[in-house]
Amino acid sequence: MSDNSLNNLPGGFKGMSQDMGSDQTVFKGVQWGKVMMWIFLLSDTFIFSCFLISYMKGRTSTVVDWPNTSEVFSLHVNGVPVPLLLIAIMTFVLITSSGTMALAVKYGYEKNRKMCGWLILATAIGGLTFVGMQAFEWSKLIHEGVRPWENPFGAKQFGSFFFMITGFHGTHVSIGVIFLFIYSRKVFRGDFDKGKRGFFTSMKSDYVAIEILGLYWHFVDLVWVFIFAFFYLW
Amino acid sequence: MSDEYNQKNTPIKAQSSETTSGSSGSSKDIDYVRPAELPEQDLYHGHSFITKWIFCQDAKVIGVQYFLTAVFTGIVGLVLSWLMRLQLGFPELVPFITAEHYYQFVTMHGMIMVVYFLTALFLGGFGNYLIPLMVGARDMVFPYVNMVSFWMFFIAVCVLMASFFVPGGPTGAGWTLYPPQAILPGTPGSNMGIILMLVSLSLFVIGFTMGGLNYIITILQARTRGMTLMRMPLTIWGIFTATALAMLAFPALLVSCIMMTLDKMLGTSFFMPTILQAGEVLSYGGGSPVLFQHLFWFFGHPEVYIVALPAFGIVSDLISVHARKNIFGYRMMVWAIVGIGALSFFVWAHHMYVSGMNPWFGFFFATTTLIIAVPTALKVYNWIITLFRANIRMNTVMLFCLGFIVTFVNGGITGIFLGNVAVDIPLSDTYFVIAHFHMVMGIAPLMVIMGAVYHWFPLVTGRMLSEKLGKWHFWFTFLGAYSIYFPMHYLGFIGVPRRYFEMYDSPYVTSATGMNEFITVAALIVGFSQLIFIYNIVTSLSIGKPAGKNPWKANSLEWLTPEVPPAHGNWGEKLPVIHRWPYDFNVPGAKEDYITQTTPPSEVISAEVEKT
Amino acid sequence: MHPGIIFLGVIVGSVLFHIFTPWWWTDIASNWGAMDDTINLTFWIGGGVFVLVCLFMVYCVLKFSYKEGRKVEYKPEDHKLEKILTIATTIGVIALLAPGLIVYNNYINTPKNALHVEVNAWQWGWQYRLPGEDGILGTAHVAKISDDNPFGINLDDPNGKDDILIQDDVLHLKKNRPVKILLRSLDVLHNFYVPQFRAKMDAIPGIITYYWFEPNKIGEYEVLCAEYCGVGHYAMRAKVIVQSEGNYDNWIKEQETFSDLIAKQNNDKLKLTIVAKNKN
Repeated sequence: MSDNSLNNLPGGFKGMSQDMGSDQTVFKGVQWGKVMMWIFLLSDTFIFSCFLISYMKGRTSTVVDWPNTSEVFSLHVNGVPVPLLLIAIMTFVLITSSGTMALAVKYGYEKNRKMCGWLILATAIGGLTFVGMQAFEWSKLIHEGVRPWENPFGAKQFGSFFFMITGFHGTHVSIGVIFLFIYSRKVFRGDFDKGKRGFFTSMKSDYVAIEILGLYWHFVDLVWVFIFAFFYLW
Repeated sequence: MSDEYNQKNTPIKAQSSETTSGSSGSSKDIDYVRPAELPEQDLYHGHSFITKWIFCQDAKVIGVQYFLTAVFTGIVGLVLSWLMRLQLGFPELVPFITAEHYYQFVTMHGMIMVVYFLTALFLGGFGNYLIPLMVGARDMVFPYVNMVSFWMFFIAVCVLMASFFVPGGPTGAGWTLYPPQAILPGTPGSNMGIILMLVSLSLFVIGFTMGGLNYIITILQARTRGMTLMRMPLTIWGIFTATALAMLAFPALLVSCIMMTLDKMLGTSFFMPTILQAGEVLSYGGGSPVLFQHLFWFFGHPEVYIVALPAFGIVSDLISVHARKNIFGYRMMVWAIVGIGALSFFVWAHHMYVSGMNPWFGFFFATTTLIIAVPTALKVYNWIITLFRANIRMNTVMLFCLGFIVTFVNGGITGIFLGNVAVDIPLSDTYFVIAHFHMVMGIAPLMVIMGAVYHWFPLVTGRMLSEKLGKWHFWFTFLGAYSIYFPMHYLGFIGVPRRYFEMYDSPYVTSATGMNEFITVAALIVGFSQLIFIYNIVTSLSIGKPAGKNPWKANSLEWLTPEVPPAHGNWGEKLPVIHRWPYDFNVPGAKEDYITQTTPPSEVISAEVEKT
Repeated sequence: MHPGIIFLGVIVGSVLFHIFTPWWWTDIASNWGAMDDTINLTFWIGGGVFVLVCLFMVYCVLKFSYKEGRKVEYKPEDHKLEKILTIATTIGVIALLAPGLIVYNNYINTPKNALHVEVNAWQWGWQYRLPGEDGILGTAHVAKISDDNPFGINLDDPNGKDDILIQDDVLHLKKNRPVKILLRSLDVLHNFYVPQFRAKMDAIPGIITYYWFEPNKIGEYEVLCAEYCGVGHYAMRAKVIVQSEGNYDNWIKEQETFSDLIAKQNNDKLKLTIVAKNKN
């Protein structure tokens, strides 16, 4: 256990596999909850990948032409169609909320209760705005006759995939928003400072929970970037 | 909260995880194990009947709950198989079995056995019970989520069972649920039946994800001091890899369930092309039925290994303990498990050689499929080499292990037939396929499950099962099941297609009538002989021989708890400290024929241990 | 009795069953003898491995049954042995895979002179369409199917006019002439399977799939649907008759073409209108 034993360690792949395989933990110093969120997100990545790959397959193999997305998704401002306007705002809001979330995590670890709470609240409001705008876009499309089973612009699958995938993503955002509100309340109440026990799990609260929620939130934003690219830019 | 622990461990001692070389120093040095990295786990102790036994957060109780629920559904699946066999062996003997009912039995039998029985039993049942005990944790890392996982599974089972009682009955789409047929009239249960099936599967996936996160993180992050990855029992490796597969494969199932539910309920056309049914063009159009098959088998093939890998792991441990010899080639066994798991994501389309997908895929998937045969074969070699020059206890557990080897090798080799694309073409969709997968992922894992029950029953209940009844149970089950599925391959050679309610008088299959009758009778006998097993379990609970501690003289950690059966929290005051792998049987120079994982090197200084 | 003996009995019984089995392939009636050969090859290599592995297991069980104080080998790993086994298995697997892939390559590459036959499948029946003298099938679509146009042939496609329509489940084929089966389904998945021909492929609604074979034995064969297609799956049978060239030509002359059908229908319509007029 002397220091020069460090020099005798194997390097490269062998060293890596030995470090990974060493006793007790694979990821040293990483909390259980954080590993859980990462692995959950990996699983969730597969869900979204399956959706998006199905979408690509559906879009390329359909017999009727795909609608012209830049027209369908355009917003009329003073009678002039502006493509991508709404979606640009939505994306901007969501990415901004990722920024506030990151700051919230920082202030959380600094035990700055107030800042942390407000920033989480800001993130939640950002998410809520996003969901609201999405609801607006859905109702606009539905108003124009787009349905999951048909639409006036082209292939049936357009509406099916659009509503399903944005809906699934929107559900993710909504769940995130709900948790953000709950957590902002918890932060303001000081649960994380006191280590208050959870209502359901009866486990002690800790500021790491905010980082875990942050991981989820960033993931949801990242997925949105892909959905944005595949639906609106393709 | 974790400041003091961080201080103790930073910088993380970089010494190799293998125990420090015992070349120098006092016995204290030899026994050195790194200090704890994590604080003691905070546990919720139930204090009423409900929190102790029903909504319980103890992984061991959850494991038993999973086990019993899975066995219940398995019995339903077994009864369905009898009804199917009665129709096939003696058509028109049972008047209420119509073609609709027959296809419903086929479907529900398949889905129940694969998902709700085998997956839930291995991962939910054995996983929950054994993981914390074998890695030296007090419990799963998220006990509350673990509890919710079981109840989600329970609801999924209830929804599944409810589909038997809705108008139209359960779905009869075949367990693969291929659209367009699954959601169109012309297939039994194409309304409520299929919807409930899809909902139930989705619930299962959600529940399983909760459990799966627990299993993975407990294994990765909550092992006890000294428990390196390469000292884990192969059971844990099998369950771990299977869970990792499940976490990545079930998403495809969930997605295909969601899309098919929308096709059914909202009239979307994800999987539905233009269809003319009963003289009418339906409102669907432009979808791709093959897409569903890709999604389904991207789940479906890893699913095979989700069932097989825990069985591989468990059987390795059982063989080693009862042959009183270390498992041969441990490291290779681990890499084989991991390698099979990784490869299993690249072979899915071998279920689709005649599905009408792009024929060029056939080359790729045949090659990957046969590559997977290599690590699988190596595992088989290692099992039998473990038996070589061992000291084999011929008890019920070992019999089941031997039964596993025979059925698994048989089923594995017929798998090579079906994986090789040109050989598969004449055999696919015939009884050869049925015989193959029942042998390899029906009977072989069942042998392991039963062996494992005989092995761990003393741990769970503190009493031994009757050996005498056990042997009868084994011979009935093994010989019966083998004589069901071995001849069935030959039905496939004749060309008898699967999922036929009735063969009528096809000129070339009339000779198979006798075999069908024989198989049916054998199936009934095997089914009823499980009553011996149930009787054995029920009576042994009260009159079985008290097991005491470590009745099999095993090395692994689950037998070394201070109390048997282990209490909540598993380890009493202090967590165990691990000094070696779990396979030190008959080490030259050691006093006894086994050295438990917790035995420090200083206590067995004379033993010439090679592998730690 | 020692359990090892019973296991030995199981192995010996399996081998004997295989030798004396009355259940074996139907006589092959197509060019895919190579598929049977690959199956045989797999059978010999695979069966050999099965017997060897199980016999070794039985030997160990008989030889090393539990005895107090038996000396047990302690050898956790043996890299040399493991390497040999890996290489041997890999060679075996390659020996099985390579011929399989060669046969498969033939299976997906249809010969140029193959006769195209379109098989239409629905819940639960079959019908067939053959190209006329131009040798080309006209395009068709499910949505165009009606009583007047049972195959949904595109009326604007000149290739479709001389297509021969067989609205019956008996298909005639010429001996020793390769056939490319083009599969169409109107509703769900089906599979056109004749055990004696060995080959099969799913029919998928929305796309056309294919496979080919060359019937080389005169006779009548039963067609089975080999992909589960709903409650009538088991009853979805048909017949293929393989004939000599002369008989086949006689048969095909009697069949109706699409233009015959249209003409007949127009005649019928004319008659109907005349009848209706007379009534008035």
